[in-house]
Amino acid sequence: MQISNRLSGSVLAALGAAAAWGGSRLPPVPGQDVGPAAFPMVIGFGLVACGVLIALGIGRSFEVEETPEPLTWRVLVPPGLLVFYVLAANELGFLLTAAAMVLAAGLALGARPRLALAMAVIAPPLVHLAFYKLLRVPLPAGLLPAPWA
Amino acid sequence: MNDLAEAVRIVLATDVLIAILASAVYGLVVGSLPGLSATMATALLVPVTFWLSPIAAIATIITASAMAIFSGDIPGALLRIPGTPASAAYTDEAYAMTRKGQAELALGAGLWFSAIGGIVGTLSLMLMAPLLAEMALSFSSYEYFWLALLGLMCATLVARSSPIKAIASMLLGLLIACIGMENPAGTPRFTFGVTDLLGGIEPIPALVGVFAVSEVMRAMASAEPPKLPPRRFGSILANQWLLTKRYQWQMWRGNIVGIIIGVLPGAGADMAAWVSYAMSKKFSRTPELFGTGHPEGLVEAGASNNASLASGWVPSLLFGIPGDTITAIAIGVLYMKGLNPGPTLFTERASSMYALYIIFILANIIMIPLGIVMIRLASVVLRAPRSAVMPVILLLCAVGAFAIGNNPFSVLMVGVFGVLGFVMERQGFPVAALVLGIVMGNMVEQNFVTSLIKSDGDVWPFFERPVSSVLAAFTIGALLWPLGVWIWNRLKSTTGEIVR
Amino acid sequence: MIERRTLLAATTALAAPAMAQPRWPARPVTLLCPWAAGGGTDAVIRIIGQLLERELGQPFNVVNRTGGSGVVGHAALASAAPDGYTLGMITAEICMLHWQGLTELTFRNFTPLGLMNNDPPGVLVNGASPHRTVNALADAIKASRPGQLKASGTGQGGIWHLALAGWLDAMGLRADHVRWVPSNGAAPAMQDLAANGLDFTTNSLPEGRAIIDAGRARALAVMGPERLGAFPQVPTLKEAMGLDYSTGAWRGIAGPLNLPVEIATAMGAALKKVYDGEEYKAFLNSRGFGLTYADGAGFGRHLVAADASLGAAMRGAGLAR
Repeated sequence: MQISNRLSGSVLAALGAAAAWGGSRLPPVPGQDVGPAAFPMVIGFGLVACGVLIALGIGRSFEVEETPEPLTWRVLVPPGLLVFYVLAANELGFLLTAAAMVLAAGLALGARPRLALAMAVIAPPLVHLAFYKLLRVPLPAGLLPAPWA
Repeated sequence: MNDLAEAVRIVLATDVLIAILASAVYGLVVGSLPGLSATMATALLVPVTFWLSPIAAIATIITASAMAIFSGDIPGALLRIPGTPASAAYTDEAYAMTRKGQAELALGAGLWFSAIGGIVGTLSLMLMAPLLAEMALSFSSYEYFWLALLGLMCATLVARSSPIKAIASMLLGLLIACIGMENPAGTPRFTFGVTDLLGGIEPIPALVGVFAVSEVMRAMASAEPPKLPPRRFGSILANQWLLTKRYQWQMWRGNIVGIIIGVLPGAGADMAAWVSYAMSKKFSRTPELFGTGHPEGLVEAGASNNASLASGWVPSLLFGIPGDTITAIAIGVLYMKGLNPGPTLFTERASSMYALYIIFILANIIMIPLGIVMIRLASVVLRAPRSAVMPVILLLCAVGAFAIGNNPFSVLMVGVFGVLGFVMERQGFPVAALVLGIVMGNMVEQNFVTSLIKSDGDVWPFFERPVSSVLAAFTIGALLWPLGVWIWNRLKSTTGEIVR
Repeated sequence: MIERRTLLAATTALAAPAMAQPRWPARPVTLLCPWAAGGGTDAVIRIIGQLLERELGQPFNVVNRTGGSGVVGHAALASAAPDGYTLGMITAEICMLHWQGLTELTFRNFTPLGLMNNDPPGVLVNGASPHRTVNALADAIKASRPGQLKASGTGQGGIWHLALAGWLDAMGLRADHVRWVPSNGAAPAMQDLAANGLDFTTNSLPEGRAIIDAGRARALAVMGPERLGAFPQVPTLKEAMGLDYSTGAWRGIAGPLNLPVEIATAMGAALKKVYDGEEYKAFLNSRGFGLTYADGAGFGRHLVAADASLGAAMRGAGLAR
């Protein structure tokens, strides 16, 4: 964990420095002494301080040592599917996009194909019904409009 | 007394009773869905209230919000995915209890103490509204600044990881809250020319991302955890009486803190839960048990957030100033229905007021049976295969985020925060502190900057007003306390070494 | 509600065969609201939607498209297909945001259909303030050091901030003679006023109504052309000080550019009927909202004038890019 602490601490310190620098360049507001710069700068300096302390390993004694699972490419599936939803929902419509999402996520989680397919067929119409009909959220119709829309 | 009889008659009208029952079910379901908060549940009700009679309309909001705040605990306890920001404070605790096989105790505590908190909060609204309102109006930006700082410090008290990482997470949250132009200067900050960032980052997509999406991401990397021992869910209320007796003092403290924080406009149930959970840990005889599946903090925080929900109506009803985001929406509905907030609501329309009180009490009572049914239904997900549950949660995250402003950008944000939450957890940074930072960021900056503007840059007024001086003493004391303890221990150990 | 709706559906179903060509609106219309549910704009557009449904026989569903300080919702309306099935509300911010360089979008990206409401700013002081009239307050302002007095009502550069700047300008003072304390909307500002944290606020009177009723705040004047129905005892600036200054946060219905003329005409006529109806007036009066109407062409002229005057006020206050 020590190496990653050094990395995360440095990243935070760099982010803090960038925030403070970016904040300091914000234009002052006419007629006000305290402008938009003050708060980001305070936070930025705070982050730099925390980042340095973390990188130096201070406060490590409080942590419970845990060994995280090894990374696989599959962890990127959920955020990837959310991006897919944003890009595809308007064209494909909610039902098709949602079905694709549920199917892909189910398979990536190791579901048997039959279960994943069943979920992909059942879940999207139910969610659509609840959100579109009950909560009046304007979900896009796209290629396959729901029969109740 | 005539007013009271009239109020009972109003509440017992068929349309009002149906509205209460329907919105109770609605609130329970919506609050339990990851991605839909109690505020969202209320906002999505507005179009419906348009068609209802005034009392029925308000009844739906009162009932649905109380139910949603409670049922936000359900996905938190079962899946480690808090349904509302108010649950984020103690999600890890409740989930730890579930892993110990005590899901029914954790959820039962949430239900039981939420209902008690709601009823005590309502009593405070009925008996002390003018007094509480007086207190709310004595808070100026100076007092709010100290209050917000105190709230932020809870992040470090609650965290089980290193306090420095907790502070770093909180600061990151505050930095994220800087994004957009909803700052005192009205200047776009860190928007990088993206229009959707002008309005800033909403807390809900962030909450959903760092908890729900990152949980789905973790599921991708890990093998399916061993199934919990296949035993029947025990009686949900059986042990609550025991907890009530054992943690009576904590319950009352939670109720009182909740009422006070709820009355202060702008703070609300989220902050009440955090402060109460942190207080519970601070004053506990066994603080080391917190986070390992210990019900003490759940009792206090559960009692607190529903109490704050009820007392948040005090400034809303008396002055039209919302106590939190839920009452902000409710005020709009009150006006729309001709029940204009103001002192006249209490005097000239006393029967309507009594009706609202009765609805509050009624909602918190029916919460118990309906909540039990909901818990039993929801606990099915503990038995369902993970590969069937997680994809649906991901879908709900997307739709829930979209529903906030019918804006696909929020869905993108959920994904971004999912990655952020995943990385942070792996590095040992508590994500709950990040959420607290995002929720509180605007309040901290707003009150800091406006106070400085009002005082022409002078720091003295921060300590000058009576209430603010007390709050300042609290904050600075809490800030210096750990440092003092640390120095004391250091001195003791060094002198000890010399002697040895 | 269910009965009325089924009745409505039944009558439209009966009437449908009689019409050869599917006339607008043949299906439900979406009304975009650039601000969140439960706010003032939301309330106004919802009552309009409800009354339009009665007028035109199709549901008018309100959809809140929030974000970006109103930019997102306005942009969504401007870029919607001009088929008459996506209309919405545009608010004063559309004539302010582009001056701040926050969007390319201006009122020219819309087809104005009807101006429906205008809330003039007020002048409010703490209930225990020594200033009993707006003239007394104005004298105190003139006698004060620049920046000594503090006022609020909304965020920096918001409509009520411009109202203050315009009022100070009309009194012959600098636009920043009174220090603006930015707030998250009118409610926190009213609270701070009641907590004695401010000298006065310039938000609209309905926004402070409950606190005024509670005696914690006092309305001294309204910066509009005439008194408000809900506050008949509060004088206008012109009556009290002889100052011919008035402004307001207005709201109107508009569609995307290139809306077909038939639809614009039909919608304009329906909006006029809504405005003239008792229900709309009663609703706005009950909330204390200001009644103002202009048809499509009149709304267009209003937009040109408002864009110029708000731009001038923002430049005067140093808020424009």
